[in-house]
Amino acid sequence: MARKPKDKISRRRFLEGTGVAIATATATPAFAAPFDSAQGRQAAPPQARTRIRLTINGVAQRIEVEDRWTLVELLRDHVGLTGTKIGCDRGECGACTVLLDGRPVYSCSQLAVWADGRTVQTVEGLARDGRLSPLQQAFVDHNAAQCGFCTSGQLMAATALLARTPRPTPPQVRTGMAGNLCRCSNYNAIVEAVLAASGSAPQTTAGNGGAQ
Amino acid sequence: MSQQPSPVQPLKTVGHATRRIDAVERVTGKATYTRDMRLPGMLYGRVLRSPHPHARVRGIDTSKAAALPGVKAVITHDTAPVWWGAGSIAGGAQYNDDIKKITTQRRYIFNNPVRFVGDAVAAVAAVDRHVAEEALDLIAVDYEVLPFVIDPEEALQPDAAKVWPEGNLSPNARNEAAPTQSRRGNVEQGFAAAEQIFEDRYSTAFVHDAQMEPRACLAHWEGDKLTLYTPTGGIANCQHDTARDLGLPDEKVRIVCQYMGGNFGNKNQNQDADLIAAMLAKQTGAPVMLELSRREDWLGMHGRWHTVQYYKVGAKKDGTVTAIELRGYSGMGGYRKNSGAISGLELYGCPNAVSTVYPVYTNRTTSGNFRGPSDPQGFFGIESMMDDVAYKLGIDPVEFAMKNMRQPGQGVTFTNFSLDECIRRGAELFDWKTRWRPVPGSDRGPVKRGAGMSFMQFRAGAGRSSAVLRVDAKGRYTLFVGVTDVGGGAKTTMGMIAAEELGVPLSQVDVVWGDTDRCPYSVGESGSRTTIMTGYAVVQAARDLKKQIADKGMPTGSSVLVASVDPNPGTDGKVRNCFGAHFVEVDVDTQLGTVRVTKYVAVHESGRIMNPQTAKDQIRGAAQQGIGQALHEDLLYDKRNGQPLTAGYYGARHLTHLDAAAIEVTFIEVDDGYGPFGAKTVGESGIILGPAAVANAVFNALGKRMKDLPITRDKILGALA
Repeated sequence: MARKPKDKISRRRFLEGTGVAIATATATPAFAAPFDSAQGRQAAPPQARTRIRLTINGVAQRIEVEDRWTLVELLRDHVGLTGTKIGCDRGECGACTVLLDGRPVYSCSQLAVWADGRTVQTVEGLARDGRLSPLQQAFVDHNAAQCGFCTSGQLMAATALLARTPRPTPPQVRTGMAGNLCRCSNYNAIVEAVLAASGSAPQTTAGNGGAQ
Repeated sequence: MSQQPSPVQPLKTVGHATRRIDAVERVTGKATYTRDMRLPGMLYGRVLRSPHPHARVRGIDTSKAAALPGVKAVITHDTAPVWWGAGSIAGGAQYNDDIKKITTQRRYIFNNPVRFVGDAVAAVAAVDRHVAEEALDLIAVDYEVLPFVIDPEEALQPDAAKVWPEGNLSPNARNEAAPTQSRRGNVEQGFAAAEQIFEDRYSTAFVHDAQMEPRACLAHWEGDKLTLYTPTGGIANCQHDTARDLGLPDEKVRIVCQYMGGNFGNKNQNQDADLIAAMLAKQTGAPVMLELSRREDWLGMHGRWHTVQYYKVGAKKDGTVTAIELRGYSGMGGYRKNSGAISGLELYGCPNAVSTVYPVYTNRTTSGNFRGPSDPQGFFGIESMMDDVAYKLGIDPVEFAMKNMRQPGQGVTFTNFSLDECIRRGAELFDWKTRWRPVPGSDRGPVKRGAGMSFMQFRAGAGRSSAVLRVDAKGRYTLFVGVTDVGGGAKTTMGMIAAEELGVPLSQVDVVWGDTDRCPYSVGESGSRTTIMTGYAVVQAARDLKKQIADKGMPTGSSVLVASVDPNPGTDGKVRNCFGAHFVEVDVDTQLGTVRVTKYVAVHESGRIMNPQTAKDQIRGAAQQGIGQALHEDLLYDKRNGQPLTAGYYGARHLTHLDAAAIEVTFIEVDDGYGPFGAKTVGESGIILGPAAVANAVFNALGKRMKDLPITRDKILGALA
């Protein structure tokens, strides 16, 4: 919504602030406006850029990124990997989940520069030689994608879960994927698909039944 | 009582659980949604929105924003005075062009005064989204802050702040400030005949459609032709509305939607984002991708209208309802986007009923259609009320429902009727007699268990839609349908229906969808109409093509045969409805105030089921949304300053994997001879019953009636205190 320039907190500052909460909590001046006044400013200041190396879906890359880019921006807008979706852009929904060194992260809440020296896996990296991963195949078989917008994130969260816990119980699946919302609310089918891919027998797909 | 047609005969393709034809695209990231589109030279658009619930714009200084390097356009009402016809229409008569013309309380893409926090004021296009966001900060708006009103009942008080100068009662389709009223029989006589009269008040909250894909639109002019890549469940409606709003002939607007991330009623017709993107693209001479943030989507689009419902019910001691009266208030926000109706009285056979509903303007975000637009909130009210009456008369709510539901012979002829069968089957599968407690609140606790139920009938009428079907010399069939597949699996269903009627495997049919330059008219994925109406057109196209093949033989060489149909079927004066009953068991923690659904049985008669896999998941997902509406979702406002407090998934506490219940779905299949192979409504029907069934189960557990949705912890603990 309409923000006053002096109140503006840049995404980089915000993310760094939350990422190293203790350090910046005492450094409130770091939140001072990037532009104290817009008056008379004719040219946008050149954006700080950093050259990073990272491996995306098995391919080593060197990319110069703007320091303010998030990881999901880098992937979608500059590497062309649009399979990762932005649902909220503020760490609420999980649609942008990717694996960073094998761990699921919200790529909307990671700066691209933080991926320097690290390995990123996205939904585009799940299939091998045109063959779907067992998890992807289970999603197809169990109708785990309705509108499909949360699906990439669900797949990445489940991939990480199964790598960690190859034969999860239904509660382990639900807990492992608690950060991935589905507004089609296809939760039963998603859990069924993950259990099927793991070879675990589906017992019940119920969660807490709406418990607040 | 059941009027059952013959049981369904098995078919070859239809009726078999079938994987979606585009499932691989959906699980590999290859499905292209609007924001995944890229065009050469594409700019990014952003919208500036009002921080005030009500304010007059004295002036807007865009000079600093326009001077920012990288900014290509800044538009306001002065430079882009585009009237958004679908944004506010008298009576909420959304598909009526004539009423759009006579509507006086018009909504523009940028408004003055602004009427809610999030109303659009200006927009920018810039070389990237960061520059566009910076530019928004440089637009100086001089607001004169005005008094505001948040509560619909307060808004009708004489001294309330006026959202529109004519007053806060939103006018009907004749531009008259009058409530919506429907009446049958004689309620005065009905109440006179009653042995007991019951009165109560219920309320429901604003819940956002909250589809996962936030609004976006990529607009691209080529000469005088506009192409919009936009998430819409109705490409034909979106095309027509956009053309009208921009003063173009329909054929100069092309709408493309290949994939979209959910709909739930938020994405039929055109939206202001489409028009804003089009104006930015026109002004800059470049394609513009307009993106809304999640918060903008929450506040700038729409959600289910919140309601207040006052009921008066007359009944005899044997449980016969003799009269029903509803006085309701629906909060529409600053604009009349949809009807604001409150459904439910039509569920009951009682011959005397009157409903008076006031659609009211407030300075809250706009209300509009959400999956069964008028149903879950109305059914919650009336079915809570009737549940309460049943207990007070000492009658089992299931028996009370069977006695009082509207049935054949009560002035209505159905194509078939199976509501009684749905209720019986549901009670049996749920084991109602064991789980339901005749004495509410009798579980000793502290975690108290209880059971509740609700029932519904919902429209499944026939109507106009189109399909084109082609066959080439190799025997390859191509079906052109104007669906976009909002998530329900429409593409696959349309392909299955064609394959069935043609007598070929589904793999021999290609489906072309989601592009007005390639597809004929479709009614759009709203009102659960696609399967019935477009599916019926597909059947007719296949029959036409089969006849052509029989007459002329299969095409040879490079020639093709094409069938193009535009049927507008009816139901011979009969009412065609789908039916359902939901049975829910809950645990209520009387110390923490939490509610947990421990069993959920959903029985539906939706005619013949086309694809059991996608149909089941439509019901399961919709039932979860119903639980969310019952227990969680709300858009709270601070009454002191008119600011929304809970916009977004976290604030509105949408269900997660941890919250979801196991939904047990049973379909009773029939073929009443209408629709494609007897198909009826599915998509919306599953959300309608949850709020009432959950609330009734909470009553059975606690012995305290929860009358205001959502049933949150504070309300439960308050009721127990």
